[in-house]
Order: sequence, then structure tokens, then C-alpha cells
Amino acid sequence: MNYVHFPVLAVMLLFLTAFLIVIFGRLSSVLRNALALIGSAGAFAMIVYLIKPVMIDGEIISYWMGNWEPVAGYAIGIGYEIDQLGLFFALLVVSTILLSCIYSFKYMEKDSSLEFYYVLFLMMSGAVLGLVLTGDVFNMFIMIEIMTFSAVGLTAFRNNRWGAVEAAFKYLIIGTIGSSLILFGIAMLYADCHTLNMAQLSSILSGNINPASLMAFAMMLTGLGIKSFIVPFHAPAADAYTAAPSSISMVFSGMVNKAGVYGIIRLVYIIFRAMDIRQLQYLLAAFGAVTMFIGVTMALAQHDFKRLLAFHSISQIGYVITAVSLGTALGLTGGLFHAMNHTLFKGLLFLCAGAVLKETGTTNLDKLGGLSKKMPKTTICFLIGAFSISGIPPFNGFASKWLIYQAAFSKAVETGNFFFVIITVCAVVVSVMTLASFIKVTQAVFFGQLPEKFENVKEAPFLMRLPMWIMAICCVLSGVFYGFVDKYLVGPAAGAALGVSHYIDTMMGSGYAAAAGVTDIKAAPAQFSYWDPIIWLVLFVIVLAAVCFVMVTGKGDRGRISVSGKAAEDGKYATFFSGEKSLPSHVSGSDLFWGFKKDWKKYFAVIEDLHSGVVNDYALWAVAASALIIVVLFGFVR
Amino acid sequence: MNILMGLFHILVFPGLLFVCIIGLLLAGVDRKVLARMQKRVGPPLIQPFYDFLKLMGKETIVPHAANKTVFLAAPVIGFASLVVTMLFIPVFGYSAFSGSGDLIVILYLLTIPAVALIVGGSASGSPYAGIGISREMVTMMSYEFPLIMVLLAIAKKAGGAKLLFSLTDIVAWQQANGSGIFHVALIPAALALLLIIPAEVGTQPFDVAEAETEICEGPLIEYSGAPLAMFKLNTAMKMFVMTSLFTCLFFGGIDTGIVAVNALILVAICIALTILCMTLIHAVTARLKIEHLFKFYWTFVAGLALCSLILVWIGL
Repeated sequence: MNYVHFPVLAVMLLFLTAFLIVIFGRLSSVLRNALALIGSAGAFAMIVYLIKPVMIDGEIISYWMGNWEPVAGYAIGIGYEIDQLGLFFALLVVSTILLSCIYSFKYMEKDSSLEFYYVLFLMMSGAVLGLVLTGDVFNMFIMIEIMTFSAVGLTAFRNNRWGAVEAAFKYLIIGTIGSSLILFGIAMLYADCHTLNMAQLSSILSGNINPASLMAFAMMLTGLGIKSFIVPFHAPAADAYTAAPSSISMVFSGMVNKAGVYGIIRLVYIIFRAMDIRQLQYLLAAFGAVTMFIGVTMALAQHDFKRLLAFHSISQIGYVITAVSLGTALGLTGGLFHAMNHTLFKGLLFLCAGAVLKETGTTNLDKLGGLSKKMPKTTICFLIGAFSISGIPPFNGFASKWLIYQAAFSKAVETGNFFFVIITVCAVVVSVMTLASFIKVTQAVFFGQLPEKFENVKEAPFLMRLPMWIMAICCVLSGVFYGFVDKYLVGPAAGAALGVSHYIDTMMGSGYAAAAGVTDIKAAPAQFSYWDPIIWLVLFVIVLAAVCFVMVTGKGDRGRISVSGKAAEDGKYATFFSGEKSLPSHVSGSDLFWGFKKDWKKYFAVIEDLHSGVVNDYALWAVAASALIIVVLFGFVR
Repeated sequence: MNILMGLFHILVFPGLLFVCIIGLLLAGVDRKVLARMQKRVGPPLIQPFYDFLKLMGKETIVPHAANKTVFLAAPVIGFASLVVTMLFIPVFGYSAFSGSGDLIVILYLLTIPAVALIVGGSASGSPYAGIGISREMVTMMSYEFPLIMVLLAIAKKAGGAKLLFSLTDIVAWQQANGSGIFHVALIPAALALLLIIPAEVGTQPFDVAEAETEICEGPLIEYSGAPLAMFKLNTAMKMFVMTSLFTCLFFGGIDTGIVAVNALILVAICIALTILCMTLIHAVTARLKIEHLFKFYWTFVAGLALCSLILVWIGL
């Protein structure tokens, strides 16, 4: 089979099924769902097929649309180029699409005009997939536009609620600022270099960045920062993730903001190869640290399940940006690994939130409670996701965060710079706060007391649980066998970002990179030194077995519990009040950490003031931040 | 033979049996010395053993509102992770499974018992437990911030210009350059860690999460019988794990070459540390409020740790 065509076919298949649903979607819901499934599963199969040649054999696939190959060393046509970095993100994209599509069938069944939902969904999927696979800057811009507008449409999909329309409006405004900045940057770049091909741009810009291209760089960096919702561009994300249907929130956090992260990595590491600009490292690391800190503290203050998850999404992207900004192989590995893990656990958590929303009709943390009795399987999935995101070993979040701490601290000791120590400490503290806010959700939604009106809540249907289980299992497996994941997925992707000459040569003809004087950054393999999860896990199991053995043999019949029939009515099986009518807790779920909040009263007052909800303010932040980026880059680079 | 040796490490020394016995012993010492400080006679030294055995024999009651699986699994998971943590803290030069004691991993494994307590308490469905877990979590947020700075300070001091997170290597560095406590830059860090230990273990004045007198032991309120025994055992073991982590980080330079003697020295130091940072502070202070606890750790203790980190950074 000639897999060279697969990347383009995958993108086209998604767009094609979207168009087919426009035409035939109204005829029957079965046909519509079947088309959506064919599109997403087909794309999934084709991209997964590429793992063998690209990831394992190290091949880079290039594909010129309409066979417009470069003439006299200048790329004229649109080229698709699939290196390990692109494929890594493409894999995230296709798995998110497939799982979200399966989840949508049941989750969205009560909504009307679903054909539009699937059209927008597939358009967005195709756009993000095209974005990560393309080798052409302008094509990337077009894909970003399609992505943004379908994302806005999907945010407003449940437009009978005012929140959805408002969120979509904010997303539209801020997103447009981002797109305009990117377009502006691309125009300047084209005027300067007379090409739009990434490989060629990389070889032209290598080592000779002039003020015009630096300006273009600043513009594009800001634009992509807006697309990945780092602070201070994060405000519309929180609204959009909350208002969109959960299957879409999962797609947003799983691939739409990853598209922005991908763009930043592509821009910084490959097109401009700008990581040796020291100020850029500080700038990006500071943005990342601020993003993770503000994201997590805002999450601690939330009263809504999905809004809380949205702020965590922002916070975790901060980790990725910080790790990527270090410019070392270890940092890049940690960052990409965390991006992948974030797709897994945050998708899982959003799907759990969706299950809760579908079964109970609310995501308000103050109104929920005690659902673990009614939805035990969802609870287990949620706990796995929560432990993963909080970085509890041996789940995957721990493996990637551990790499990030290592990367940040080794950067600190190598350069002797205290700034990176602060970054490391910040990352650890944010991780604990993440745990805290997930404890809050666990207590407020799944444990605690069950309100009477939820007596008849049922477990989520199987089709919704299936994607949840898949992601939960992936969370555990990628945490335990992270050496394997690193070897076949993350490692090649990080290597591709650092060694760019192969990329240029594949696209522009061999020897092109060397002629332009492009040299690869030497990529030392990431050090996985002292943590071998398998040993720990084996030990853990042995200890567990020993304990269970002692408990079972030592106790005999005495401790056996039977809580059924008559015994169930016995007061001693009720909670502490032993027969008295149990009182509700005086602390509502969302207010769990009042002691902490009291200490940080002033901070929370300021930060909540800043999130005014007025889109003018947010637009102002975006403009101010882009000014800051330009000033920093221009002020210190020369 | 290797497997047998491994099993011996895991189940007897320095694993399960050793940690349990020494942990309970430390708890006994704590109670006895505290009683003497308050001019009471106090319980016999092995009272915690009696308590443990008695609780193991009692009936286990699972409340209606609880999620049974999580409620019963939590104490066992906390217990297992404590034992595993201990396996990777070297007893001076001797470590059961060499080369795997990473500082960050230890930091995170030490959170698992606390998380187990929180999740178990949460799963019991009691409103008192709800308040208890909230406090436990805030306590954790409080001490984790200075703790990471302490660990980074030690890592930087021992590693110099390269990344060094391995406990084994840190001990080796101390044996070459003298124990950590004798380095001026690390003294504030040692003080900070001494103050972190009681919060991590949850003894007065930092026992806000379990505050018997106001919220009836918080997360433990619904526990009875064997699970409660496990949680009590976990607390006792945490004393030992934390004090031996301190020993490993700051007294790592001691090595007599004989494992049994080393183990005895370790126990002696642990007892001294327990009396110093838990019993003594317990005897002279009253319980803090949760917001005061948080403030204390994020200002005073974090200040000590930061001071040490900066001293190490400027090369002292």
C-alpha cells in the first residue's frame, strides 16, 4: 500500500464526510452517525498506519499537492510534510476525534439539528489534522481559520442557553485577533523571504533573522499563543469549554489548544530555530509559569465542574509551554509527553463531567454530591483521571511532570540561573494545588452526601463509558510503560523538533539544508534515570498481597460485614449520627478550601476582578500582551 | 536466592515488618515521653501494639453513604505506598534496591498516604470527614511548598553543576564530604524539614485535619476495626519514614559498615528526632487554626527553606 497519500486522504476524508453530512445528514440519523464514524475512524486508521514508517523507521513523508514540486530551489505549491513531530500531534488529534465521535452518539442524542453538529465537528477535526500535517505556513493559517470558526460554531451549539452564545462571541473576538496577528506575520514573512514553505523558510531564516522577520515572529508567536489559550489570552477558553457540549470540550482541550502548542513548537524550533535566543526562553518560561499558576488558582475558586476543568486545561498547557521553552531535549520530551498525557486525562475528565451533566442535568458543584453510589464506573474513571492530572505515581501525569521538573532544575543548575529554580518550585506547587482542586471535585460530586433529587440517577450508558475506559486505561499504561511511549512516540517527535536538516532535505531536495548552512541542534537522549515504575509497581503489589494475606488469614469470620436486609436499617450503618437524621454539611462542595482561600483573600480578589467577563478587557489584554512580546523580543535580542 | 533476598528486603528489613515495628515503637516513645513531660505516668512503651491488635479484632462497619470499595481500599493503599517508600530510603550506605531513590519520586510517594486518607475520608460520606479532608489537603499544600525547596537545596548542594536527585548519590556525597547537617547552608533547610515532619505526620499543633476535640478525627470519623487500625499504623509508620528521610538527607555521613549497627543508629536518631520535633512541640503548643497553619508554612518555614536554597545557590 502506498502510504504517501494517507495524510492528505485523511484530511480530505474528514472534510468529505462533513460535506456529505450536509447533503445527506437530514435523511436519517443512522446514516449521519455512520458517515461521522466512517470519517473519524478512517482518519484514525490512516494516521495510525503511518506510525511504522514515520516513527519507527524515521522516514519523513513529503507530498506536493498537484505535483507542484519546487522550481529552481523555490517552493511554489502547497506541500504536506509529515515528520515525527507532526505525526505525534496528528495521532493525538485522530484519537481525540474518534473517541469524541463515539461519545457524541449517545451524549448528543437529545439535541436537535445534529447534522450541523457533526458537520462542524468534522470540519474542525479536518482543519486541526491539516494544520499539524501541512508544510506550508499559509495553508496552516487557513486551517487555523477553519478550526476557529467551527470551534466558535460548536461553542454556541446549545444556543438556547445565553452562556453559550456569550462564550462563542468572546471566542470569536479573541480568536480573530489571534488569526489577524498570524496573517500579518505570514504576510511580512512572505514579503521578506518570498516563500511560504516551512522547510524553505527555515533554511532561509537560519542564522539571519532581520527586524522584519523578527516582527513577523513576534506576531505569529502571539497569534499562536492566543490559539493555545495561554495567560493572558485564556479568558475565552474558560467560557467556551464550559458552554460547549462536553464531547466538544474534550476536543477543545485535547486538540484545539494542542494545535496552538504545536504551532508554537513548529514556529520556535523549526521555522525560526529561535531557541538560542535567551530572552525568548525567559519570556516563554515566564508565560508558562504564569499560565499554570493563574490557571490553577482560578480553578480552585470555581463553582462549576466544567469551568474548573477548563481552568485546569489552561494550567496544564502552562506546563507544556514551560517545558518547551527550556530548549533542551529533556524539556522538549517532557513537554510533548505532557501534551499527550493532557489529551488523555483531560479528555477523560471532560467526558466524566459530560456523563454527570447528562445524568443529573447540572454541573454545579454546590448542587451535586454522593454520585459514586449511583455512577460507580464513572467514579473510577474520574479518580484515574484526577490522579493522573495531579501527578500521583504511577499514573501518566507523574511521569511527564517528573520529566518537566528534572528538565527545569537541570536547566537551573547548568546555567546557574535562579529563575529556573523558581519555575521548578512553581511547577511543583501548582501540581499540589491541582490535586487540591480535584479533591474538591471528588468530594463535591462523587463522594459526600447524595441530594434527594438525585436518588434515581443512573450510570452513564455503555457507549459513553467506552471512550472513558479507553482513555483511563491509556492513562495507566502510558504512566507505567512510559519508556515505551518515549521510545516510539515522544522521543522521535522531540528529535524531529531539534534536528531540522532532515526535514528541509526531504522537502527541498537533499543537500539543501547543508547549502543553506543549517545545522542540527545536538539532541542528547533524555535521561530516564532513577524512576522505574515497574519495580515500584511490583513491590507495591507484593506488599499489597502480603497485607491482604495477613488480613484474610488473621481475621477469619469476625470482621465480616453484611449490610443488607434488616442490618441495613440498623442505625449503626448510617454515618456518624447513628440513627439521627443526618445533617447536611455546612460547607458546600465548592467552598471546600475556605481556610486556604481566607489566607489568599487579597490575591483572589485581584484575580477575580481581572476576570471581569467583559470582552473588551480581554481584547485589551491580548493587545497588551502582544505589545509586551514585541518589546521583549526587540529590546533584548539585538 | 535473589528472589528470596528480595522478599526478605520487602517483608522484613528494611520493609514491612521493620517499618511497622519501629513505627509503632516511635509512636509508643512519643506517647510515653509526652506523658512524662506532662507529669503523667503514661502508657507502656508497647501500648500502640496493643491498640493495633485490639482494633484488628474489632468489627468493621461501613456506613450506608460510603462507597465501600474506595472506603476499604484507601488504608491498604496508603500502607503499601509507605512501605515501598521506605524500601528506597537508604539506611546510610545500605539500600535494598539501589539506584531508584529519586527525590521527586519520594516526594510524590509521600503524598499517596495523605491522598489515601483524604479519599478514604471523602468516600465515607460524613460531613465531618468533609471538613477533615479539606484541612488535610490544605495542610498538604502548606508543607509541600517548603518541602520542595528543601529537597532542591540539598540536590543542588550535593550535585553542584549537575542534576542529582538520587538519594543513594546524596548519601554517597555526604560520606565523602561530611553529613548535610554540618554544612552551614543546609542548616536552615534542616530546620525547615524538622518543622515539616510534624505536619506531614499530623501531630499537634499541626493536627488540624484530625482535631479530635472539634471534628472527631475528621477523615477517620467513620472508620472502625481493621481499616482504622491500618490508618493508625500508617500514622506511626509515617513518623519513621519521615525521620529516616531526615536522617538520610542530613546525617547520611555516618557509616559503621555493619548493617545491624547502622540500623540501630538509624533507630536511635529517629527516636531523638521524634522527641525533638514531635513530642516536644506537641507538649508545649496548642492546635493551630487551618489558616494560621497555612500562613506559618508559607512564610516562616518557606522562608527558612528559601534562605537555604539561596545560600546554596550563591555557593556557600
